[in-house]
Amino acid sequence: MIKVKNLKRYYGSGSTTVKALNGVSFEIKKGEFVAIMGASGSGKTTILRILALLDDATDGEYTIRGLKVSSLPEAERSYYRLTQVGYVFQDYALINEMTAAENVYILSMMEGKSKKESYKVALEALDKVGLKDKHDRIPDELSGGEKQRVAIARAIAKKPDIMFADEPCANLDTRNSEQVLDVFKDLNDNYGQTIVMVTHEPWHVKYVDRVITFKDGVMVGDEWMDDR
Amino acid sequence: MIDDIRVGALIASSSIKRGNKKTLLFIVFVLSLIFMNLVFLPSMIGGMTVLFTGIMQDYPYGDIVIEPTGDNTYINNADNVLQKVRAVEGVRAATKRLDVGASIEHKQNVVGVTVTGVVPTEEYEISQYPYIIKEGDFLGELSRDEIIIGSIISGTSTTFGEIYDDLGETRVGSLVDVTYSNGVKRTYKVKGIMEGNFELVDLNAMVHYKEIEDVYGLDKGKATSVVVRIDEPGTEDEMKAKIREAGVNEQVFTWADKSETLIRQALQSLGAIDVMSKFVGLIVGAALILIIIYINILNRKKEIGILKAVGVTPRSIVLSYTFLSMFYVSLGIFAGLILYLSLMFYFQANPVTFYGTMQIRPQIDVMLIIQSIVTMLTLSVIAGTLPAWSVSKESILKAIWGR
Ligand SMILES: Nc1ncnc2c1ncn2[C@@H]1O[C@H](COP(=O)(O)OP(=O)(O)O)[C@@H](O)[C@H]1O
Ligand SMILES: [Mg+2]
Repeated sequence: MIKVKNLKRYYGSGSTTVKALNGVSFEIKKGEFVAIMGASGSGKTTILRILALLDDATDGEYTIRGLKVSSLPEAERSYYRLTQVGYVFQDYALINEMTAAENVYILSMMEGKSKKESYKVALEALDKVGLKDKHDRIPDELSGGEKQRVAIARAIAKKPDIMFADEPCANLDTRNSEQVLDVFKDLNDNYGQTIVMVTHEPWHVKYVDRVITFKDGVMVGDEWMDDR
Repeated sequence: MIDDIRVGALIASSSIKRGNKKTLLFIVFVLSLIFMNLVFLPSMIGGMTVLFTGIMQDYPYGDIVIEPTGDNTYINNADNVLQKVRAVEGVRAATKRLDVGASIEHKQNVVGVTVTGVVPTEEYEISQYPYIIKEGDFLGELSRDEIIIGSIISGTSTTFGEIYDDLGETRVGSLVDVTYSNGVKRTYKVKGIMEGNFELVDLNAMVHYKEIEDVYGLDKGKATSVVVRIDEPGTEDEMKAKIREAGVNEQVFTWADKSETLIRQALQSLGAIDVMSKFVGLIVGAALILIIIYINILNRKKEIGILKAVGVTPRSIVLSYTFLSMFYVSLGIFAGLILYLSLMFYFQANPVTFYGTMQIRPQIDVMLIIQSIVTMLTLSVIAGTLPAWSVSKESILKAIWGR
């Protein structure tokens, strides 16, 4: 489904250049639940942002289903982000003035669905993350784990090809983290959702199929989990 | 585009619904003041205009005034003109007047004035002069050695006080000497003192028409003006045409024609103040909206980045701020209108009063209100859109993570 080849991302120039990614190649197939791990500063966020079309690679090739997305114009990338890519941020990134449902259905509306239809889609998505009954709460009225699950609902409502999550549990306690990871697992197991998740918690590994490890901007490991 | 509008409206409405209500109230309050500023002063000026034009009608010009053509000092056949004018349908009354320059003397005090020769019995139908005699009586048909003087000249004006020269303590019954511009000198007994609380009136003097004819040795039927009142206010222009058609070859003016220059001059300085205050008001308003929107945007920079990151188009985001700004301004206009109308209502009931009798009732100018609403809304669109547009151009990464 997605394929990166010799991807590089440099920040700055000259002697202060930071080589956040220095030639990374891998492939992720449909239905995989992949964890990207590695020490802080190893380039995990950088690769995820590029994969989610939030950032551009300095060099290398990136294709989604054979389409070279790295060279698309911004308007098309924006459309791709809207329709094909789900992104879950570490700090939930919800709109504080919007209810859970609104946070989710704004994207369906953006896609041109009617308000009613969008609402239905949002409720479905909230149902999948176990928050249907809290659809009219605003973020301030939700716990951290609930907020993150709303963010996940927002990401999956559009039924994206692939979903990215950058340390989605970093701000959550163990109980809330487990809830969020259970949701991911459920989406992956029961709906075949492709997920790429950045994490540095070793215990998260038991939820995923595959672990890609980064170190100093290069891939140093790619393992399949056995218990699958 | 329709999706952009729908999503923009959703963002704006949620931000209004769940935003800080106190801030909203404050913003709306200030915007309402700015709107008031656009419409209030012009309304007062409008009220002054009505007042001044009323004075023009009630004293020097009537509804329509006929004056000599070209360089002529006099209308030569005023009686003939009067006959023609009175025959025109819709004319209520008409009279002739003779204005001349003179100086009045009383106990060594000398004051230069305009003396108007009037046909006393006819003035009751034409002007307010007979009705503003505060001491004594108006002239009568036989008042040949009598004069009416304005309260400023007599020195009894309570409103204009010491601004102008006066004759000292002149009272009804005092004798005054009038030296006309041709050198002829006559002595009159003061029959009445008139007070209109308006310089144009209170600095004047009035004698019988025949006195002026006599002093200047004029043939019968000379006049410096023929003053006409009509039945239907508002038909001045029609009546002016009718009078011309009736064969009057002198210059015919409506009161509006005559007052326009006068009032324009009088109101020009007020107008300049008005324009300036409007200008400042609009700038302050624009700056306010701009700052409000800009601060809002800075506070929500991250959210803007998030919205973009999840696929909301920059255009929807910009539109949401346009809507937000339009909403603020619409509420401001609405509140401003209520404020304005209540003030208008108040001033209609309790007019601003000058000099005891001059009352200014503010005039509501619907065109101006519409114009101000359109101006404010246009402003809101610009002030809301510009900052949002500039921020929406920023890269997602920078907006969300600051780098
Ligand atoms: N905008 C940036 N400008 C300069 N350096 C950056 C920027 N973003 C990230 N980096 C650097 O790139 C490297 C990789 O960062 P990142 O991908 O965020 O690491 P991780 O998510 O694995 O902790 C780090 O050394 C970081 O300091
Ligand atoms: Mg990171």
